Amino acid sequence: MIEVQSLAKHYGTFTAVRDLSLSVRPGEVLGLVGPNGAGKTTTLRCLAGIIPMTSGRVRIAGHDLASDPVEAKRQLAFFADEPRLFEYLTVRQHLAFVARIYGVADHEALAKPLLEELELAEKADELPGELSRGMKQKLVIACGLLHSPEVMFFDEPLTGLDPLGIRRMKDSIVRRAQAGAAIVLSSHLLHLLEEVCTHVLILKKGEKVADGTLAEVSSQFSNGETGVSLEEIFIRATGGSES
Amino acid sequence: MFGALLYLRLMSLRNLVVHRVRRLRQPKYLIGTAVAVAYFYFILLHRNGPMGPTSAMAARAGAGAGAVAAALTCGGLCLVALIRIAFAWIAPAEKPGLRFTEPEIAFLFPAPVSRKSLIHFRLLSAQFAILFTSVLIAVVFNRTGYLGGNRATHAIGWWVILSTFDLHLNGTKLTLSRLRETSAHFVLWRMAAVAAIVAYGYAVFRSAIGMVNAYLAGAGASQAAPDALVRQLLDSPAFHWLTLPFGIVLAPYFAPGIGDFAVALVPALLVLALHYYWVCNTQAHFEEGSIALAEKRAAAKEAALRGEAPKLGGSKRKPISGPFPLAPHGPPEIAFLWKNLLSMRSSLFSRRALFILCMLVVWAAAALGPMLTRHAKSSGSDPFSPMILAFSIMVAAYTVLLGPQIARQDLRGDLANADILKTYPVEGWRIALGELLAPTFILTLILWLTIVAAAAAVDPLGKIGWLTPGVRLTGALCLAIAAPLLCLIQLIVPNTAMVLFPAWYQASRSRGGGIEMLGQRMIFGVVQLLFALLVVVPAAGAAALVIFSSQWFAGVAPAVVMATAVVVGIMASEAVVGVWWLGERFRNFDLSVDGK
Repeated sequence: MIEVQSLAKHYGTFTAVRDLSLSVRPGEVLGLVGPNGAGKTTTLRCLAGIIPMTSGRVRIAGHDLASDPVEAKRQLAFFADEPRLFEYLTVRQHLAFVARIYGVADHEALAKPLLEELELAEKADELPGELSRGMKQKLVIACGLLHSPEVMFFDEPLTGLDPLGIRRMKDSIVRRAQAGAAIVLSSHLLHLLEEVCTHVLILKKGEKVADGTLAEVSSQFSNGETGVSLEEIFIRATGGSES
Repeated sequence: MFGALLYLRLMSLRNLVVHRVRRLRQPKYLIGTAVAVAYFYFILLHRNGPMGPTSAMAARAGAGAGAVAAALTCGGLCLVALIRIAFAWIAPAEKPGLRFTEPEIAFLFPAPVSRKSLIHFRLLSAQFAILFTSVLIAVVFNRTGYLGGNRATHAIGWWVILSTFDLHLNGTKLTLSRLRETSAHFVLWRMAAVAAIVAYGYAVFRSAIGMVNAYLAGAGASQAAPDALVRQLLDSPAFHWLTLPFGIVLAPYFAPGIGDFAVALVPALLVLALHYYWVCNTQAHFEEGSIALAEKRAAAKEAALRGEAPKLGGSKRKPISGPFPLAPHGPPEIAFLWKNLLSMRSSLFSRRALFILCMLVVWAAAALGPMLTRHAKSSGSDPFSPMILAFSIMVAAYTVLLGPQIARQDLRGDLANADILKTYPVEGWRIALGELLAPTFILTLILWLTIVAAAAAVDPLGKIGWLTPGVRLTGALCLAIAAPLLCLIQLIVPNTAMVLFPAWYQASRSRGGGIEMLGQRMIFGVVQLLFALLVVVPAAGAAALVIFSSQWFAGVAPAVVMATAVVVGIMASEAVVGVWWLGERFRNFDLSVDGK
């Protein structure tokens, strides 16, 4: 579903991501972790086609992102850490706009249950300025889910959410994965990885340090010890410092 | 404590200067700075030399005009100050506060800093801006040297005026806050203050009018020199005492010599000191108001960065219905047009204004021509047609050259959402085209109005033989066909500039960008003008060639049609290349890097 081969991203002489390969199949949730500046957001932005990669190959649901970006993007949804909305469109108008862009024919029929599920139905005719941060996040999710993407990218999905919002976001991610979506998320929150992710990829200075299931990565850095916490694994894997 | 606050302010200033200087290593900032410095030197400073023609002329005229100019300037300044002070009482903020930035609030309000220290910090912060402004005004506007004094006395004079005014406004805010907290008759207090200000303004006005009437009615009024009248007015005891508060503060600036300046400075500084005492000793809470003010300013700054027009007043936005029903299928460009038309909220380009514009186009097309012809035939003379023609050409030129800088419902307005737009399954050129459609539509409507008005106003009496109704209609239609393409191409320029130089664009949207931003804006303006010429000149040349070579055998109207076909072909090719290139640039655009 998501296939990445030798992805690299350079900014002048600075290398943000180096020779990164990964694969995420339907139903899998890959957690992208690493210290600040490790290249997580850059990786996600490259995978979503927001910024061009310097070299490498990315395939989204079988479509090459470089040679067939439109079809590749039709299959994906990107959720930024900050909800980015058009200030002058209401909740309902956001959905109408996104439906037109993605060519979702029966968007009104799809939007109704989506708005109800996300508790946005009563806010359908309000502008983003009237919504709380959690509500804005929900609207972003509603827009992202409207075209039923097969691939989803979440950049720090829990930023700014209250405990209930965090619970719902986790449930939502798990539910989409169970429905067959391939998901990549970046987060600093290790408990999110434990609860949601099926796989983990640790980045440091733009390079892959480790990847695999949580158990595989844990065993790689536990040095035979038992009961080593995920936090300790992360510190050992990244050398305990920022990039 | 004050030392720490001074340290913060000075270090911030030093780091700002260092940052700006280091930034000059990037060519774009260096060029911008060079252009702005050259502008200041050649246009402002160089022309203001001590022996410049303006100064010499002014010096010769000084004896007569100086008093009048001084009085008018003084009167204008006082009026502005009085209105601002009255406004502070008429419409105070719900929670009057002092001006702090959000980081200052975050760090200083929870810190063990006394209330007085916070006020001092606020006053000190303002002093940096006031000092800079005073020096700048004194240097730039030294051409008003005929008022007397020199650059140093003018700078100090301005410092006294601005500092006193700043202190007065802060004192008013604190007093209002204090009254709101302690008095049950807050509204009455405000009404009393406003009534006092209005009564004061009326008394000054009546006094001035009475003096002028008496002077004009008296002997020698026929040879009345304005400066004599002004001198008499200023010397009258009633006017002198009435305007004394303002007069004391303004006196150092208007002092003609060093001695007068020194004498005037002492009472002015005393007034300043009284204001300082007032501000420092008014026991009122300003914290909540300051937080609200900082949030409001931060929101305004963010809105400016997003490319939105500054919002007047504090009214909340209301949802509005879409300009037309958006079908779920169809070209995505239309969705962008729909979205950007929804974003039209500023008064200049509101949807209501667009509707009125459409109606005006229809009215001008249907009624303006016959109306002008009727009037010209009945009266025998036609003063309106040349005026309408000249005005139409002027508006059209402004629309083409300045319109793209004002109508920003395009990629520039969506800069903050660039990442989201790039995730859409739409080719870059289609996003670019879609984003450009709304401002193209707006500017085209304005151009159509000018074309229709000009076509109606050209030769209403039919004196030009070849300008038959058919040729007139053909010409207008041909221009109307070319207008959207011209607007589209002109809009590509600022959008491409934004994508190529987002740091320039972002900085130019924010306040306090520095001298290099002025230079950058000037460069943008010149580029826009050059691009307009680059687009129009080849197309116009080709059109002229076609008309000249074909009108002899085909007639004027068919020649105009053929020329339009050529023009549209050339401009359409330019537009296609421009939109495609803009789309490609946008696809590869990374705000996180390019915007730095």
